[in-house]
Amino acid sequence: MSGVLTAARHELLTSARAKSPYMLVAAFLGMVAASTFIGWRTTVTVSAIYDRVVADGLTTQPNPFTDVSALYYVRNTVIYVLLIGSLMAAALGVQSALRDRKASTAALVLTRPVSERAVRAGRLLGIGAILAILVVVTSVVTWVSVGAIVGHALTATQTLEVASFGALTWVLLMGFAAVGVASGMVFPRERTALLAPVVLWAVIAFVIPQLGTAARPVSLLNPVPLPAQGSGAFGWLSQIMAPFSITEHFKTASAALLESPYTGSAVASAAVVALFTLIALAAALVVRAARIEGGSHE
Amino acid sequence: MSELMTLARKELLDVRRDRVVWIVMAALGIAIVLSVVVASLDFRAQMADYNAYVAQVKASGSGVTPQAPQLFPLQLLRGGMEYVEVLGALFAVVLGYGSVAKERARGTVDLLLTRARSGMSILGGKLLGLGIVWAVVSLALVVVSLASVAVIGAAHIGLHEVARMLLAGAAAWVYVMFWTAIALALTTVTKHSTPALFGLLVAWLVVVLIIPQIGDTMDPDNQVPGGLFNALAIAKPDEQAVLAHFTSFESGRNALEVSSVSKLYERVTFALLGIKNTYTGQSLAFVWDGTFRNIYGAVGATLAAFALAIGAGRRVHTLRRSA
Repeated sequence: MSGVLTAARHELLTSARAKSPYMLVAAFLGMVAASTFIGWRTTVTVSAIYDRVVADGLTTQPNPFTDVSALYYVRNTVIYVLLIGSLMAAALGVQSALRDRKASTAALVLTRPVSERAVRAGRLLGIGAILAILVVVTSVVTWVSVGAIVGHALTATQTLEVASFGALTWVLLMGFAAVGVASGMVFPRERTALLAPVVLWAVIAFVIPQLGTAARPVSLLNPVPLPAQGSGAFGWLSQIMAPFSITEHFKTASAALLESPYTGSAVASAAVVALFTLIALAAALVVRAARIEGGSHE
Repeated sequence: MSELMTLARKELLDVRRDRVVWIVMAALGIAIVLSVVVASLDFRAQMADYNAYVAQVKASGSGVTPQAPQLFPLQLLRGGMEYVEVLGALFAVVLGYGSVAKERARGTVDLLLTRARSGMSILGGKLLGLGIVWAVVSLALVVVSLASVAVIGAAHIGLHEVARMLLAGAAAWVYVMFWTAIALALTTVTKHSTPALFGLLVAWLVVVLIIPQIGDTMDPDNQVPGGLFNALAIAKPDEQAVLAHFTSFESGRNALEVSSVSKLYERVTFALLGIKNTYTGQSLAFVWDGTFRNIYGAVGATLAAFALAIGAGRRVHTLRRSA
């Protein structure tokens, strides 16, 4: 156990020293902070459009934004977690897996009385701690920015919902971090090790949902839920693809937590995200390293 | 010129031997074919729904039937073009990065300088070599796209479609070359390859995904499922009249979108292929009138990226192992 904790401490220290992933971390934190403002600005404009439409006598429909929750402004954050957060987590995982090989210290580490698997578990624990810190920071930023926009502090229930969304975010990010670690173990080149999780992410985020819903790929980055496609081949395709649509399940569970409209079961969706992370963690622990020495061989 | 060609040939040889390049290009082709399959299935589902509705209308004795869904063959390529926009840019970044990072990792820059007069020649040769690679890949994607529309979509492909698809292929070449040149420049000017790779990944995220996503999310019509104006039962002319009161918001949103070269590429391609309804069935002259600013923007950005990449050759010493 002490070997695992030592590896975790080392991971925290070396991750803090590595400057390269800071750009991704800054992009993630910056966009999460900006997302509440974007959501608020858009809603204000759309409400003004609705008022104009009513004043011109063009509709008798009710305003679709009258009773939206304060957490409605946070819905873009879900997309930035999927877009930036998951890639950031994968990059942290890849860097962790490649670090010893690039520094030629893998053999030195394994002279200590600790198994390679324990070292990997420690690294994942360290990455988990880093991601937890980032998620706590984003949750606090979200809580403060929404409170500032609506002019009062969020209720206890809403605070709990923001915290639960943070927990779900951490679970998803751990899954992608584990994918990154596994990729760093399997691929000898840094660019391939980083490219593989990004391609896997693109398949999960774009290709699989497209096969099940006929949605065009870029529209999947809009937080508004897609109209369900139940007819023809999409009926059974969506059934087959459903367990693999990790990002869509994350969107569903997040929408439920953030008081936004959603379709399907939020609990089942959260369970699918958790299962993805467990499988990825297991893969990161058991996958055989292609090589432990010799640089990144670009 | 022969110096540039020698360096370009060396680049072509390296790419030919790199299995990863072929795997990612194949992945892009598969993504395009899959998106045509999905679009075709979607159209067939729409036709089946329409036929069932018409049968119901006839059974009820009513003589009024709605207009049948119309198939515009190149519209089946919408998803495929979006994959080129997202994945094509990523693969272009990886190709450009790998081309420079390998010289740094192998310490072969001094050897290259025995054949080339300057670092700018090396970068110029790499740009030329990768330009040829992308020209071949773009042409292959044009063939794959047209074949999948003809075979899977069961659509007639005439000279009109071939010409537009070739222009879309040229647009794709300009777009991926922008990313390749940026990757060559950034990887050369940074002292180590890893920060360059992360910087490129962030640039890709911001330009390809985040800026267009913000623009899309801020679109008033994208706020409710099925569209805000549809939900409020407002006709298109009324929608435009209402939006005329919000020009500053729309101008800001448009400015944000056109700051992304990906959005420029998307607008040009969607217009060429008639994917955007405004351009469906319109002549190329009409498309030019509507998109020439976007074309100038995309070509200008790519030329600037070329200049950056070749100029980065002045700092080729950063690729030496001792640097």
